[in-house]
Amino acid sequence: MWIYLLKRVFLAVAITVIAVTLVFMMIHAVPGDPAVALLGPRATPEMIAHLHREMGLDKPLAVQIVIFFEGLLQGNLGYDVLSQRPVADIIFEQLPYTIELIFVSILWAVAIAVPLGCYSAMRRNSVIDQLVGIMAVATIAIPSFVMAVYALLIFAVTLHWLPAVGAGQGFLDGLVHLILPAFAVGIGWVGYISRLVRASMMEILGENHVRMARSFGISEWRIGLRYALPLAILPTVTILGVGIAWLLSSAVFIEVVFARPGIGALIVQAVNTRNYAVVIGAVLVTTVVTVLATTASDLIAASLDPRTREKL
Amino acid sequence: MQSVSRRTFLRAGAALSGGIISAGMPLSQVIWAAEGKVLKVRSSGDLVTLDPAFLGQAAEVDLTNCIYSKLTRYKPGTEWGWELEAADKIEQVDPTHIRFRLKKGIKFSGDHGELTAKDVKFSFERVIKLNSPIKPQWGSLNHVELEDDYSGVIVFNAPFAAVWLVPLPYAVGQIVSEAAVTKATKDGGNFGVKPPAFSGPYVLADWKPNQYALLTRNPDWSGPKPGFDEIRILPIPDAKAAERAYQAGDVDFTVVGLDSLAAFKSNPPANTEIAERASTHYTWIGMNTDHPKLKDINVRRAIQWAINVPQVLDTAYDGQSIAATGIIPPGIVGHRAKTLVPPEGDLSKAKELLEKAGVNGLTLSLDCTNDSQTSAIAQTVQAQLSQVGISLVVNARDPGTFWSLGVESEGDSWKDVQLFIMTFSGLPDPYDYVTWFVQDQVGIWNWQRFRSQRFDELNAKGLSINDPNERAKVYQEMQDLMEDSGAFRFLTNETNPILYRTTRMKAAMRPDGTPLYIDFQPA
Repeated sequence: MWIYLLKRVFLAVAITVIAVTLVFMMIHAVPGDPAVALLGPRATPEMIAHLHREMGLDKPLAVQIVIFFEGLLQGNLGYDVLSQRPVADIIFEQLPYTIELIFVSILWAVAIAVPLGCYSAMRRNSVIDQLVGIMAVATIAIPSFVMAVYALLIFAVTLHWLPAVGAGQGFLDGLVHLILPAFAVGIGWVGYISRLVRASMMEILGENHVRMARSFGISEWRIGLRYALPLAILPTVTILGVGIAWLLSSAVFIEVVFARPGIGALIVQAVNTRNYAVVIGAVLVTTVVTVLATTASDLIAASLDPRTREKL
Repeated sequence: MQSVSRRTFLRAGAALSGGIISAGMPLSQVIWAAEGKVLKVRSSGDLVTLDPAFLGQAAEVDLTNCIYSKLTRYKPGTEWGWELEAADKIEQVDPTHIRFRLKKGIKFSGDHGELTAKDVKFSFERVIKLNSPIKPQWGSLNHVELEDDYSGVIVFNAPFAAVWLVPLPYAVGQIVSEAAVTKATKDGGNFGVKPPAFSGPYVLADWKPNQYALLTRNPDWSGPKPGFDEIRILPIPDAKAAERAYQAGDVDFTVVGLDSLAAFKSNPPANTEIAERASTHYTWIGMNTDHPKLKDINVRRAIQWAINVPQVLDTAYDGQSIAATGIIPPGIVGHRAKTLVPPEGDLSKAKELLEKAGVNGLTLSLDCTNDSQTSAIAQTVQAQLSQVGISLVVNARDPGTFWSLGVESEGDSWKDVQLFIMTFSGLPDPYDYVTWFVQDQVGIWNWQRFRSQRFDELNAKGLSINDPNERAKVYQEMQDLMEDSGAFRFLTNETNPILYRTTRMKAAMRPDGTPLYIDFQPA
């Protein structure tokens, strides 16, 4: 287990270094001067040159990368010359909003999808199973931003039940502001996870140990929940780890549609203005979050399934 | 203590929710309900800085207008003008000297003392000293001479007629405390988003990045009391999200997209005033006069005549924007009554000019930003030029790439630039519109590479004339020169459509629709 953990840490560091270096090179390869984009059409050549110096853009690319990693080793993500603030402050102000959106979205999606998947597997081909199947395909097929816009039009604009924009103030208001964005992000996952759980459950329910349990006269529901579900849930747990990365990118749309603060909106804004320091810092943080999430999901899967644990 | 059963709790919760919903009140508003008069407005972007010497976005200036005093301020209304704010008196002594006298008793917050002429000198001169990106707003400012604690003289190197409507009532005219800023920063430099002291009727009580900025009354403010106790400014960059936020009741004042104006006019939200104000933007199609394909003036003029501007505006702006007569918008000194080439153009005239140039089967490129409105303009122009045999290749680019194309210091891409769609935004003085097209700007912002000695002379002359009628003639002639060069096809100055809830406020705006929050009054 410890060797496995060490391997994962080494892999995480390697992935992060590669991702940041790639992004560094990609954003420098894009045509357009960040100083021109930041200062706008009124900047004089002297001002542009001054900003180049302040942003360190007058140095060769390799030197810029080395300086960034040197700073990183000292816990410094860089400095945003425009707002005169450390990049870490800017990112860690926004990150919690994205994390809470992803967490709540996954939480409600799992809470609904797992029982639906179980029920469908245990009552396969019933009317409810067929309805769940149709709904699952529909929710997977509709992009989250389309869902977001319609949810907004119905619940915020027409019914005036929920707020349309922002993240709210305080816990209760924050929760109210999370309802529509979390619905839009999570709805596709309800369909996906319910299908996944159904398929896994059906496979497990056909295995020998389940048949043996049936022969002992254990009730079907107890077999499903006690013996089949813990095994059927494993693919879902693994998928959720990878899903964090996917959710980080879908959060971009949702944060724009709902004018919510968050890391997605921050990256879009920073890329448009060529604010390199913020782009690099944000990519670094999202890479770390993704690596942490996949590692955590692997570990959870290992703790649920002794066979996986033995392989580590 | 009486225990509350689960059943009782659920019943009470259901009753409360039902009450709220049946009252038609958004849940967020119930939670957000605050004491006093609260103004909730949308801004188009979040704060990057609150230092007046570095303000880059209109959204920041709207906010800082509330927290810092200026010598003068814009008058709300539909005609451009200014009135006194922190100044008790201000006058032009001669073309390069302006004398001011401050009102007594304006206090900086946080025990930083009274606002004096020393603070005015510090605030104005630091913009130049710190080589701020917005330094050009101060024109040829040299320094401020102090006469006593409350009086001083602003000294320019050359006449600068734009001073009355550009630097003084706008961003760089905002006054900060010398004592507070030098204490908070190393050398009186950029203090970013943490103002060390306030001198306006409001203070920044809270700012959550990308979420909201909250302004509350400044307890040290001795001037006229503004109408609202609190102003909540919500940054909503996306225009469509802003429209939904208004319809949902999250904000009560917002600018909306021109493409939505027709829909709002035909089906206005309840208790809403739709104001349409002439914006200070200017959009045009430029042509690189140094490009071999466009060197012949007949080719450029043919393009001017082939473009039907009202048709372009119908497509891109849903017919809600009127054709420009030049770069200077209506309401600003120097606005022209009409263009030299009629907005509708004339295809036969365009074909005639191409024949005269001996050109056929011409293929040109058009560079533009990749937003939907500009892309719609590009596609319409592409179709229009095809009618005269010009094949147009549209290159829609992201803003960062686009804004470097014609800048010589960014490489050789300027040599390949042919046609391009450009939008600038100006301040309310004609100088701010024309100054980008002088010969010194070739290869910087004059991507047309338009060169005219007469134009440069007029540019200098316009700044030395104070009489508005005389100034107008100068700037009208400059626009004639631009158009006559064939390098410009003026499209529109756009309109700023604004929605606000009449049951909540009496809004106060500059003629271009920019909100002046301290003049807003509760309904």
